[in-house]
Amino acid sequence: MTLNLCVLTPNRIVWDSEVKEIILSTNSGQIGILPDHAPIATAVDIGVLKIRLKDQWLTMALMDGFARIVNNEITILVKDAEKGSDIDPQEAQQTLEIAEANLQKAEGKMQAIEANLALRRARTRVEAINPIS
Amino acid sequence: MWVSSKGSFSDPSSLSFRSSITPYQLPCPNSGTGNHSRSSSVTPIHCGLRELKTRIGSVKNTQKITEAMKLVAAAKVRRAQEAVLSGRPFYETLVEVLYNINEQIQDEDIDLPLTKIRPVKKVALVVVTGERGLCGGFNNAIIRKAEARIEELKDLGVDYTLVSVGKKGNAYFLRRPYIPVDRYVEAGSLPTAKEAQEISDHVYSMFVSEEVDKVELLYTKFVSLVKSDPIVHTLLPLSPRGEICDVNGNCVDAAEDEFFRLTTKDGKLTVERDVVRIEIEKFSPIFKFEQDPVEILDALLPLYLNSQVLKALQESLASELAARMSAMSNATDNAAELTRNLSIVYNRERQAKITGEILEVVSGANALT
Repeated sequence: MTLNLCVLTPNRIVWDSEVKEIILSTNSGQIGILPDHAPIATAVDIGVLKIRLKDQWLTMALMDGFARIVNNEITILVKDAEKGSDIDPQEAQQTLEIAEANLQKAEGKMQAIEANLALRRARTRVEAINPIS
Repeated sequence: MWVSSKGSFSDPSSLSFRSSITPYQLPCPNSGTGNHSRSSSVTPIHCGLRELKTRIGSVKNTQKITEAMKLVAAAKVRRAQEAVLSGRPFYETLVEVLYNINEQIQDEDIDLPLTKIRPVKKVALVVVTGERGLCGGFNNAIIRKAEARIEELKDLGVDYTLVSVGKKGNAYFLRRPYIPVDRYVEAGSLPTAKEAQEISDHVYSMFVSEEVDKVELLYTKFVSLVKSDPIVHTLLPLSPRGEICDVNGNCVDAAEDEFFRLTTKDGKLTVERDVVRIEIEKFSPIFKFEQDPVEILDALLPLYLNSQVLKALQESLASELAARMSAMSNATDNAAELTRNLSIVYNRERQAKITGEILEVVSGANALT
């Protein structure tokens, strides 16, 4: 029994194939989904999605979205998703540093909100690069 | 032979034509009676054969360029179309989920930051323009719409700020410091989720931090290859049912989606719009919500915002490409006509010169005998 995973972003389909198990980062913590899970709908937080194919784990950085699991069909709608293998480590590290600097400099509620989001995103991307055995 | 010593500068009607092609004086062989060669409908083009030839050459080159630009724009419309199509699965699933959740929490009173309706004191206008020129009246039309909307808001006594997307709009508003612009955004050649994300994040934070009370999106709706419509579209506050509302309050249900297709009709490229109604499954399985339904809607609505912005960007791009296609097509036709007229004039000049030489030889021969 496998799960059919579909990761969609506004302008493309990032992932559309079968997987064995996924670990999803939601607003209320991380949840693991195995085949024949009960139908649930959940909001997805900015975090790393771990996908298991056979015995290998893949990581993907997800930004803010929504997930729905029904009948072994997982549909994840996110603002942006990047496969861990597609992210350049140096570039991600640099983005993280820039985001941290921006947060220090932020003035006003609006800038603080933006800077916070940017920081969390950058952090997720850096985390997604490190593979899990 | 008969080289006019003053050139043709004494002739005012040809002066403007002269200055447009050569800055220096060229000897121009006049016919003896000083006749100006006239082409059928244009002002007299009165010049040297060599000049005419150069001019014909340059017009032909321009024609090649405009033809190439038209084909490039046509190819890009296809790419833009594909981008729209690949964005559909996301949008359809999103709408479906939105409907399902709304059904399940219909009785509850939803109070989300993005749907809050506040008394409007300040409005943010997101103006989407193009990156490059040579697209006919496209950029002008949207900028005029923006100015008109600003006037309306001023009359209502509402404060405003702008978010300008696109190089052309940026350049225009940079030159006018009396219009407050919050941020300039430059999009690449194809709008991606990242740019839509940047704009929607900015707009989100402006709205949630109560800096503005309403956000409106100004973009060009793609009607057909020759017609596009700049419209104003209320982005925030969102209605929880996902309706898309126009400034005048006309609401379109989110499930109805319009998209455009590039096809051929009568052998010419045309674009057609189709309205597709997204099928919402009547039977929706009862989901167990991991979090509060309100929290889930809170996560869904920014996604919806993002996809709205992206759709607007894509549609604006399609209108720009269509405008460029038709502008370049007109330019090519004009260039062809100009070549034709210039060739006629060139041939007449050439024949007149030959006739003159023959007459001279013949009359010289007569005088001898």
